[in-house]
Amino acid sequence: MAGQIKRMINSIIQKRAKGNPVILETTTCKLILKGLDPALFNERSPDDPTIIVKVLAIAAELGVSV
Amino acid sequence: MPITSAYSTKALPAAITDLKAQSADAQPRAVICFASAKYDPSALSQQMKAAFPQSCVIGCSTAGELTSGKMLQESVVALFLDAQTVEDVSVAVVENISEGSRVREAFAEFERHFHAPVSSLDIQKHVGLVLVDGLSGAEEGLMEKLGDRADVFFVGGSAGDDLKFQRTHVWVDGKAYTNAALLVLLRLPNGFEIIKTQSCRSIGKVLEASQVDEPQRKIIQFDHKPAIQAYAEAIGVSAGEAPAHFMQHPLGLMIQGEPYVRSPQRVEDEAMRFYCQVREGTKLEVLEATDIVADTRAVIEARKAAGRIAGLIDFGCILRTLQLRSEERCDQYGAIFAGFPAVGFSTYGEEYLGHMNQTSTMLLFR
Repeated sequence: MAGQIKRMINSIIQKRAKGNPVILETTTCKLILKGLDPALFNERSPDDPTIIVKVLAIAAELGVSV
Repeated sequence: MPITSAYSTKALPAAITDLKAQSADAQPRAVICFASAKYDPSALSQQMKAAFPQSCVIGCSTAGELTSGKMLQESVVALFLDAQTVEDVSVAVVENISEGSRVREAFAEFERHFHAPVSSLDIQKHVGLVLVDGLSGAEEGLMEKLGDRADVFFVGGSAGDDLKFQRTHVWVDGKAYTNAALLVLLRLPNGFEIIKTQSCRSIGKVLEASQVDEPQRKIIQFDHKPAIQAYAEAIGVSAGEAPAHFMQHPLGLMIQGEPYVRSPQRVEDEAMRFYCQVREGTKLEVLEATDIVADTRAVIEARKAAGRIAGLIDFGCILRTLQLRSEERCDQYGAIFAGFPAVGFSTYGEEYLGHMNQTSTMLLFR
């Protein structure tokens, strides 16, 4: 399977930003500072379980569920 | 009354009388006060609060100060924020930050004060200031937790101690703290801007931090080679010569085209210790320093062209200040901030979304 990480990251950003373009940008920045660069993932990225665990942890830190 | 700024190089208590005399507003809503480590922090905090009993009086110790038109040393500077600019303000102290940044209580305090969750506040009218012990090594954790909890921006700097590297302080309303952070939430009905500026450009080389000791802010290996060896190769010098190039060639985590600067501090065996943390696997671009005065002047001139600057706080890295001092350009840098009320200080690190080095973060009041 592929693409789950990208979908999770998009979900985090969209849920946190709630349509606000400024927050969308700063949430992306916060993810990169946490060591998760959204630009490194796309629909073909493999569903690496280690990274999925990391994304779930970051989502929890940011107070959103994915 | 509009925002005003003041400075004094006198000793206590004359310095406070001096500042009070320069304040156009008898009881400003808030007073931001930065002072050299030559001043006793507890005495300064007590005397400032006694001089402005109705105001929220906050600040920290420094490694150099800035006021409108001047860079200073061994002085105290103050920015007096009027009630029209700052409609409301709430302050929380986070103590023992070296043991972890517990910001929950601080946010509870903000929510009590503003009668609303911080997450619901208008991010165009509310902004946070953060002043933090510059020797705690806790800034990354603190900024991450602030960013997790809030979309309101927090901007600020790490307190200094005139390059003694012994103890730094933050203060609020008559008390002084070490190993602590001060979080200040301001409601600014006229709006504000946050500026993040660094005078560096990429030289087109990338180093991947392949082995790190994150809590120690240490990179052990770049690209699976001893860190100093890989860094030296990237800038074209020997490993022995490399430390002399640290200020000229910091590294940058690139985010949306902007470097978040990570400055090397020293070599430990073949590892490199930095002034902020780098996560394992992070790719950092090798930067080269550019003209601080020209770059900062361009940033401020652009903001002036966009509208009147009611006031400004500059949190400028001590490494930038040291470069300006070595180039004898402090007067030129100070002159950038002439013509409007401004204060600032030379920091041990700058805060905006995260913790960074060799940067100026600024809060500009409209």
